[in-house]
Amino acid sequence: MEDDTMWGNIFRRQVKSETSIYTVLSKIPIFKDLTNREIKAIERILHRRTYATGEIIFHEGDPGVGMYIIEEGHVNITLGKQEKLLAVLSNGEFFGEIALLSETPRTATAVSVNQSKMLGFFQSDLFGLLETDPKMGNKIMHRLAQMIADRLRFSNLENQQLKIKIGELEEKLSRKKVS
Amino acid sequence: MDLSVGKFLRLVVILFIVVVIGYLIYSLSEIITVMIISALIAYILDPMASFFERKGLSRTSATTIIFLLIIATIGLIGWLIIPSLIRELFTIHGSISLSDTEQLAASIEKFILELFPFINPSAFDLKVKIAGLIEAVTNESLSILGNVVTLISTFAIIPFIVFFLLRDGRGMKKLFIVYVPNRYFEMTLNFLHKVDQQLGGYLRGQFIEAGVVGVLSVIALGILEVKYFTVIGLFAGLANLIPYVGPVAGAVPAIIISIVEGGQTATVIYIVIAFALIQFIDNMFIQPMVLSRSVDLHPLIIVLAVLIGAQFFGLLGMLLAVPVAGIIKVTSRELYDGVRKFHLLS
Repeated sequence: MEDDTMWGNIFRRQVKSETSIYTVLSKIPIFKDLTNREIKAIERILHRRTYATGEIIFHEGDPGVGMYIIEEGHVNITLGKQEKLLAVLSNGEFFGEIALLSETPRTATAVSVNQSKMLGFFQSDLFGLLETDPKMGNKIMHRLAQMIADRLRFSNLENQQLKIKIGELEEKLSRKKVS
Repeated sequence: MDLSVGKFLRLVVILFIVVVIGYLIYSLSEIITVMIISALIAYILDPMASFFERKGLSRTSATTIIFLLIIATIGLIGWLIIPSLIRELFTIHGSISLSDTEQLAASIEKFILELFPFINPSAFDLKVKIAGLIEAVTNESLSILGNVVTLISTFAIIPFIVFFLLRDGRGMKKLFIVYVPNRYFEMTLNFLHKVDQQLGGYLRGQFIEAGVVGVLSVIALGILEVKYFTVIGLFAGLANLIPYVGPVAGAVPAIIISIVEGGQTATVIYIVIAFALIQFIDNMFIQPMVLSRSVDLHPLIIVLAVLIGAQFFGLLGMLLAVPVAGIIKVTSRELYDGVRKFHLLS
């Protein structure tokens, strides 16, 4: 029954595509607490965009309005006019999530490396969700807060280590001056 | 000079487009009015649909419930008010077109003389002016009520459009966004969100305020036993949509009717006090609660908007002028902001 009907093929492809979006979304940290039904609801909210090779997804300095999840393809995250490469992201990875909470300017530029498919989840969608389904909205917000707390803790640790290093270097320098 | 030729051609094309759009707006003014009213109603009802969605209903069920509630409310209002409202309008029209306006002018002249003996009221040529004014106002009110086509479009088309806008509005927005090129995608999303945030509160506030002022006016005029208090009270509520002019425009018909009906000076003073009190309540309690300050319009803009609304869409245009001016202000400000912040012109 493999080659039975045209309909069979169409449905098979659809099911495959739905499963792949579901798999992608269920692995995104901010959607981790959501039930199957809730992930289906998120799927309906997301904006699907297709980007050509070399097309800019957002510029450094643009107001941040939301995050992107890579459904298919590769994205370069670059910094400054020299386009210093910070990261290369691929299927299932995401970027720009801080913009879900605050409209601060984008800190880097995102460029599509090849023909790629993105799922956009935006601040307005999140706020709408908090209004229409606060339970689901809160689950996402809670995960988002956890992610930011983790990063803050990591940054604090890094900061502490840097301070210690600076202190050691200053001590060395003063010892050298004395001698 | 090739630059100037190019620029000139571009200018001609832009001018042509503006003229075509202007002509279309003018010739489709009735349909546009119906669309604006429907969109406003759907927009105002949107939080209600979201509320029912929060309670676990689907969007279609939420919209249906809202419609059932509205039908019940309209039915109740219709049963209580509409027969007397139509009767009152026809009585006002009949009595004024039949009776000589001389009597009305004489009553007003007498009233002015009582209050201000040093003024010569006959110099104002009140008879002709009042006759013209009342003819115009009552004819317009009756033409709104009497025109069968308008009735059908008002009572059948508007709810139909509102239902689908309310149910499928979000889907329509998403469908529109799909076709926005990637370069403008984020800006468009941001723009729609910002406009929605600012306008939602503003428009809902405007209509809640008009409703409260209308109900308070009906109650106050009812207590003062002013004839046709339902019509005048509801008109005062609607007129309140127009800042500065509205509150006065709401009180004037009540005062005129009171004078025509041979009311005492004291009644007129009570009417003035009642309207002043309603304005006080509106300014002190209702406005701070419901009106968003993000859409402050300059008085000159308000006057211009009301004049333009009156010119193109008549009485309805005057009432809708200020909310529409608010929409245009927020939309253009956010559009400009978006284009600038997203560096779309560079």
